Amino acid sequence: MSGEERSGQGTAAGPEGAAAEEDLKARVREGYIVESPEEMTEGYRKALVVQLTVQADTELISAPAYWMAARHAPSTNTQVSAHAIIQDELAHANIAYRLLEDLGVSKEELVYGREPNEFKHPYGFDQPLENWAELVVANGFFDRAGITLLSDVYQNTSYGPLKRALVKVDMEETFHLRHGEVWMRRLAKAGGDAREMVQRAVDWMFPMTVEWFGLPDDMKRHSGQLEYRLKGLTNDELRQVWMASTVPLCESIGLEVPAHYDEDAEVYRLDYPFPCRYDPAEKRWLFEDGAITWHDVFDRWKSRGPMNEIYVESLRRSRGQVSRWLNGREA
Amino acid sequence: MALPTLSRVSGGRDLWSPPLQRPPRDPEAAVWKVLGEVLDPEIPVSVVDLGLVYAVAVNGGTARIRLTFTATACPCMDFIREDVRDRLLQETWLGEVVIEEVWDPPWSTDRLSPEARGKLKRLGIAT
Repeated sequence: MSGEERSGQGTAAGPEGAAAEEDLKARVREGYIVESPEEMTEGYRKALVVQLTVQADTELISAPAYWMAARHAPSTNTQVSAHAIIQDELAHANIAYRLLEDLGVSKEELVYGREPNEFKHPYGFDQPLENWAELVVANGFFDRAGITLLSDVYQNTSYGPLKRALVKVDMEETFHLRHGEVWMRRLAKAGGDAREMVQRAVDWMFPMTVEWFGLPDDMKRHSGQLEYRLKGLTNDELRQVWMASTVPLCESIGLEVPAHYDEDAEVYRLDYPFPCRYDPAEKRWLFEDGAITWHDVFDRWKSRGPMNEIYVESLRRSRGQVSRWLNGREA
Repeated sequence: MALPTLSRVSGGRDLWSPPLQRPPRDPEAAVWKVLGEVLDPEIPVSVVDLGLVYAVAVNGGTARIRLTFTATACPCMDFIREDVRDRLLQETWLGEVVIEEVWDPPWSTDRLSPEARGKLKRLGIAT
């Protein structure tokens, strides 16, 4: 949902269009639920398309990321659990793409027609997950970010079909989170190499998830998603919700995170310059270089990370191949 | 700023009540009741209502549970076993929990309680 920053705010041209936009904003503020495209203004539709595309792409790209990591599962049973999560993610992607089709957007085009760098998933899912510890921290951190964003959408969205679809998504994401938490706890408790691996994963994945929530509120003048009640909480509020469940979890199992609770202000504070530079080759945040601008962050997001093309291609590779076998030609 | 907290993050453990203060008169009934608080890690239906518990026996401080799963490749087996054990061991009158996995007779949707059927229906899950 942080993809919002990269899209223009859609508003229909002309005074009539502007009045319609304001009218719909006022109605959804009062609790009006939109059920069909006919009830939408152009601005509402555009904001919803961006939100659903980010949601669908994030679920979709998490699948190859988790799949490549699942081969590091320590047993057949744990591999079954990891693959069940991947299957859920693909189903969640399909739900969101299906909702986009109702809005006249082609799923076919979104999945197969775009350049890999046009996908709108967060930068965190452009990184390789290279061992079991990184997979379970992804479940513990990335899936928790997903559930943070989607629970807010579920509770506040003015789009009825999305609210109903999220009931199942939310339940399944709870299992992913559980998988992450249980395994993070087990690895941390085991000590030695296991603890070191999970701490190393936390070191790069914690700031990665913090950044995922996007531009701070004081820099964001305008949010179509909030005005159309497509979500309820701001970026900073969502970041706080995520930290309020992540930081205590990590502290309770003896994992260090670069954030602490400020009791006077009753908020979580980051203990590093934010935002800051990231070295994807080393999987390391360059805290020592100091803060950078959000403009720099958007540039990094836009140029995408090391696994972007590999993940997208892995989803598409066999499609043409099998249809060539079956039909002697491309589908 | 008063923000919502994430609920249900632990999955399966949301309904756990505090352990009994003293040993129950009917330990087996007490174990069944306690297992009724252990939810499936994904859906808020207990392992008892799902029909996963085939038998309960209590001998001294040892509870023996005959437990099945909905499928041999159930991705949640690990968590369900852990939840059953952890919840029962919260009871101070139990010192040991032995879980015996049973695959015969195989689980089927016929084993769902009417409560489970109602909940699953409301959640949009076909039975």
